[in-house]
Amino acid sequence: MGKYLLRRILQMIPVVIGTTLLIYALVFALPGDPVAAMFGDKPINQAVAQQIRSEYNLDKPFIVQYLIFLKNALTLNFGKTFSGQAVIDVMGRAFPVTIKLAIMAFVFEAIFGVVFGIISGLKRGKWYDSVILVVSLLLISVPTFVFGFVLQFLMGVKWGLLPVTAGSNPGFIDLLMPASVLGSVSMAYIIRLTRSEVSSNMAEDYVRTARAKGMSNSSVTLRHILRNSMIPVVTYLGTDIGALMGGAMVTERIFNINGIGNTLYQGILRGEGPLVVSIVTVLVLVFVICNLVVDMLYAVLDPRIRYA
Amino acid sequence: MQKSSKLTVVVAALSAAVMSLSACGGSSNNDASSTADNTINVYGCEPQNPLVPTNTNEVCGGNPIDLLFAKLVAFDDKGNAKNEVAKEIKASDGNKKYTITLNDGWKFTDGTPVTAASFTKAWSYGANVTNAQLSSSFFQNIEGFDTLQKKGADKNAQLSGLKVIDDKTFTVQLKDASSVFPTMVGYTAFAPLPESFFKNPKAFGQKPVGDGPYKFVSWDHNDSIKLVKNADYKGTAPAQNDGITFKMYTDTQPAYADVQGGQLDVLEQIPPSALKTFQKDSTVQAYNKPGSVTRAFTFPANLKHFSLGSQEGNLRRQAISMSINREQICDKVLNGTCSPAVDFISPVIPGYSDSLKGKSVLKYNPTEAKKLWAEANKISPWSDSETVEFSYNTDGGQKDVFDALVNQIKNTLGVKAETKPIPTFAEFRQNITERKMDALFRTGWQADYPAAEDYLTPLYSSAAADGKGSNDGDYKSTEFDNLLTKAASATNESEANKDYQAAEELLFKDLPSVPLYYENASGVAAKGVKNFKMNWKNLPVYQELTKK
Repeated sequence: MGKYLLRRILQMIPVVIGTTLLIYALVFALPGDPVAAMFGDKPINQAVAQQIRSEYNLDKPFIVQYLIFLKNALTLNFGKTFSGQAVIDVMGRAFPVTIKLAIMAFVFEAIFGVVFGIISGLKRGKWYDSVILVVSLLLISVPTFVFGFVLQFLMGVKWGLLPVTAGSNPGFIDLLMPASVLGSVSMAYIIRLTRSEVSSNMAEDYVRTARAKGMSNSSVTLRHILRNSMIPVVTYLGTDIGALMGGAMVTERIFNINGIGNTLYQGILRGEGPLVVSIVTVLVLVFVICNLVVDMLYAVLDPRIRYA
Repeated sequence: MQKSSKLTVVVAALSAAVMSLSACGGSSNNDASSTADNTINVYGCEPQNPLVPTNTNEVCGGNPIDLLFAKLVAFDDKGNAKNEVAKEIKASDGNKKYTITLNDGWKFTDGTPVTAASFTKAWSYGANVTNAQLSSSFFQNIEGFDTLQKKGADKNAQLSGLKVIDDKTFTVQLKDASSVFPTMVGYTAFAPLPESFFKNPKAFGQKPVGDGPYKFVSWDHNDSIKLVKNADYKGTAPAQNDGITFKMYTDTQPAYADVQGGQLDVLEQIPPSALKTFQKDSTVQAYNKPGSVTRAFTFPANLKHFSLGSQEGNLRRQAISMSINREQICDKVLNGTCSPAVDFISPVIPGYSDSLKGKSVLKYNPTEAKKLWAEANKISPWSDSETVEFSYNTDGGQKDVFDALVNQIKNTLGVKAETKPIPTFAEFRQNITERKMDALFRTGWQADYPAAEDYLTPLYSSAAADGKGSNDGDYKSTEFDNLLTKAASATNESEANKDYQAAEELLFKDLPSVPLYYENASGVAAKGVKNFKMNWKNLPVYQELTKK
């Protein structure tokens, strides 16, 4: 187990170097000159532009720029933005907000997804099963931003039940609506996944055996059906944490949340290489770690799986 | 037994997470509008650069800076310059030399006095290439600018054209005569800076100290910039509220929803989704009047069939302009948030006229357009395989306008027309500055200071052509340049404006670019906000907003 873990952690090093190089190359290849764009419609003062380029190392060839970035990153110096803030400070402000949002969305989709999935799966064909199926289908097919705008207009503007946008230092109430919008699509998938797993496991031999032994209905459901149904759901949830953080861009713009998605969006628009690369690298790390945790969880859920 | 205990751990961990989250819910909902004081929450965005007047050329940083710094002159809502820190700005030597006297009693918010050196040192800092200031070009007409623009200039070097006479007086020696100089010094880049700035410009950029109607409190990155009323300010436009908070957004749509919901007081842009409805929206107060931003398109100077100065090019340029129905674009595409252009400046700028000779070329006239196009075909035929192409950047929300333009040209002239969208503004501008554009392209202008000069000189003078300025169509006309020079040495504004209008009439003949419309100053304010109106810069008059 320990050896396996170590091997997995060592594997992260080439992944991180590879992604930073790739993302840096992509930002570098973005058409348009960020320094020229700073001047807007106005004439570009070449002498000043040159001075800015050398300050941000933008006048050096790609690979030199990348190596400078990598060298500084090792000492946790991720460079600075055009407005003179350290990238690490920008991330330090934005990540906690997005993590809060992602955790809330995660809890939302996990609880409601699994609960509705189980209800649906256990009582297939009942009217509430149909209702749950139709609602989940709707959530999957309607784009997130449509759902976001509609919810924002109804709950925020029209009825005034929840804050319209999240604003500064968002708390639980501020993030309630954004988190449910962010988690809604995944919730719908989890409902469907849980439902099909539960209903197929119900027909398994070991369930019949357990019932034949005279085991109570609730422990059959909890110990045999649910436990076995959770493996694919946990896989899905694990990979979804990364997706929730990276995918928060749309939700964060709708609800004006000062998180990673919004920061990344602005960074791309302004051509701020170091900022974009640093954020994406952290997101990649989150993805890789989540995958590792999911693999570890398998061993907990299924005793047949052992890592060596 | 062992199995279930593991599952219990998972469930327990999940519920613990839920509980810790709901526990932190108590501290929620701190939107500032619920506070009782008279602080106004206005729309803002994260500044792209530190808050230094000479390094800020975009609205995100520019709007807070303009409230923090009082300049030599201030502009009223109509765009007329009024002396503020200056007691007198006196021209001599045919508008080539200015003697500036300051009023007594002006102080920065750190208590230090505003002196002549506060201006001269600030301007020299801005002009010095070593400091890499984005607005450095504004000082280019001051004697000594070229020396400071040489690579490796000493970072403390001063502009030789600025001379401090005493604490309250300094002189400015210009390279070329300029009648607009007393207006220009009202622009952001000409703000005075306190001594503390020169000791540590970096720290100052995060925490500026000014002499304006407001005092800086905090800049919470990506979140807000807070300003409070400066009680010591005694200029022309004192604050009637307790403070202004710029709440930052990356998109206008959530900001609009916040105004509807009362979480934001003022928004000076209308998101595309609300363009149709905002004037009838009962949850907000709407404002919509002609403004100072102009929209046009420009022809690359040597574009085949359209080349500048050729007879064929001239006919085709006029034909294109006359096949555009500007009223229809403003009414139907932009839902009444713009006004059709009739000149090359804007209705809110001193010097505007709606009765210039030759303005009929901006009028929709399909018969005349067809006739001119046919005449041009006699010189050099337009083959069926050729297309009139329009290029624009898609991140500026101009798609609908250009789709409409293309259709109008197709319908009027019966030729093929297409749009050539470019994804980002950065790439679009790069194509233009490198002169790689092979289609008609979107241009627009927001004046920095309210003067006809600030539209005509940067956009159409020969000195700004060939990549040296914003004359993207490389228009070069000696006659036009002479009129600008004449206006620059005029003794008063109305005389100068006569020359500028004569210069505009030349533009109607040559059509280096085709004006389309003036973008309206349109915005919304929450119910309960009083004195909501917008100025010549398409911005709310922040100082007058109040909730009492």
